[in-house]
Amino acid sequence: MDKKRKYPYFIENPLEHDRVRRFLDIFSAILETSNYRYILDLYSRVTMKCSRCASECQIYQATNDPKDIPCHRTSILLKIYKRHFTLGGWLKAKFTGGSGLTEKDIDEMLESYWNCTGCGRCVLYCPLGIDHRIILRLGRYILSEMGIVPKNLLVSTREQLQGETHNSSKVPLKALQNTVEFLEEEIEEIKGVKVKYPIDVYDAEYIFFTPVSDYLVEPDTLMGIACVLHEANISWTIGGTNCDGVNYGLFYSDSILGDVNRSLISELRRLRAKKILIGECGHAYRAIKDFLPTYNDGEKIEVVSIMELTLQLIEEGKIQLDKNVIKEKITYHDPCNIVRQNRGIEEPRKIIRSFINDFVELKSHGQYGLCCGGGGGTVAVDETNPYRMNVAGKMKAEEIKASGADIIITPCANCKKQIGELIQFNKLPMRHAGLHDLIFEAIIMKDGKKHGTDD
Amino acid sequence: MAQIEMAGVTLEVDENGFMQDTDKWTEDIAKAYAEKEGVTELTEDHMKGILYLRNYYLEYGICPMIRKLIKETGFNLSRLYELYPDGPANSACKWAGVPKPTGCV
Repeated sequence: MDKKRKYPYFIENPLEHDRVRRFLDIFSAILETSNYRYILDLYSRVTMKCSRCASECQIYQATNDPKDIPCHRTSILLKIYKRHFTLGGWLKAKFTGGSGLTEKDIDEMLESYWNCTGCGRCVLYCPLGIDHRIILRLGRYILSEMGIVPKNLLVSTREQLQGETHNSSKVPLKALQNTVEFLEEEIEEIKGVKVKYPIDVYDAEYIFFTPVSDYLVEPDTLMGIACVLHEANISWTIGGTNCDGVNYGLFYSDSILGDVNRSLISELRRLRAKKILIGECGHAYRAIKDFLPTYNDGEKIEVVSIMELTLQLIEEGKIQLDKNVIKEKITYHDPCNIVRQNRGIEEPRKIIRSFINDFVELKSHGQYGLCCGGGGGTVAVDETNPYRMNVAGKMKAEEIKASGADIIITPCANCKKQIGELIQFNKLPMRHAGLHDLIFEAIIMKDGKKHGTDD
Repeated sequence: MAQIEMAGVTLEVDENGFMQDTDKWTEDIAKAYAEKEGVTELTEDHMKGILYLRNYYLEYGICPMIRKLIKETGFNLSRLYELYPDGPANSACKWAGVPKPTGCV
């Protein structure tokens, strides 16, 4: 085979030969060391391929290609499982002579499993309760163990787990310190109050993990969060050895999911913090909130999202937001990794209604909201931008446009990047912001300046 | 890793064309990058942004927040896009010869 294979995303060391055997070996090893067999057996029995999910999948709706129907995606892996790892499939092949897994199947999976953004909306509509999102992750997991995984995710994760900086954007501690000092100066200049970003403080109540990319691209979100915590006198700290909440394992690898979670726990232990506070990020929240017990021998550590904490502080009267600051029309995008589990829906809306007068919902919202089109780690794969703009994010862009809002809020690093790109690509007359970006504008600091005064 | 020739020097670059060995950077390389994006002359303002980013990178190991770049150079965001067509991250950092950050950026 002389011709180089073409992959839809950059891969560090593309595998050219022997992919079928490798795939089956890895699949077999995963089955032996996990309990995937139970769901694979169940799903293979109950699946009817009724395509109820088709009408709810924004990707299929954009392409109209039957290959993009969620239960078709899932069936590729189920078929391989049945054929190669069950007695019935083996016997059937003996008598009817089916050829089993082919190179073509692998080509289809490596494309299809990264075209899906893993938003999980189809799961809510499946009458048989098939969790297509788990099958997607398993498919990606097997492929990644063969080295087939978008390069940016691989490189970022490697730096996080094995690199010197322990974070996915390779931000050295010195740069982190310089950045938060800059933000402290900014807050003092704008709000007139000295606010501190504590790094490596022992015995704090909360250790704060946010996608490290926030320290590169989301100054307003971070300033809003620091002001909230300062005003309410919360004891918190950023980990100097590990500040990064990003966990791409959630999207493609169970072993990475576990390793990153364990690294966050060890940073919490090092600093003797009590609870985990997650910044504005959907997947960082779900990865630790739902999977921490699995990787922590059952020991309970409380995981709180900044939205939950901020709402609690508003309700307790510990922070005050000025109702007359935000005058624009605002809408809100729900990050899939927060709301699909039917949580985190009311908190942001209560916060928004407490200080924003002109709020309008998107057509689809809450648990059933559409994905931004960059979920499942795909937004971090820059080269998929044309696909995310023209296909995955198409329906979302139409919905955002129809809202007529001036600002779309979304409390997620992933969604912010994708929605920012959608706004730019579609030339929509609006901007995007994090929830705490607007809180930063509106928060009344007891010892600070009043809004609109210069000194 | 691909190789390209810029201003007479062979450079290792990533898939997006960012230099991997930042020590090989010269002003001529910045000019060659700019020309590829249709900017035929590097003015004092262009160089001010490029050198700020480059020096920050050499000291801290990563590029600064755009907000800091704006503050330190005095250029607002639209001016930055005028100077660097693909923006501060995709053009200015590339012209300054520093690697593209990974992760969700």
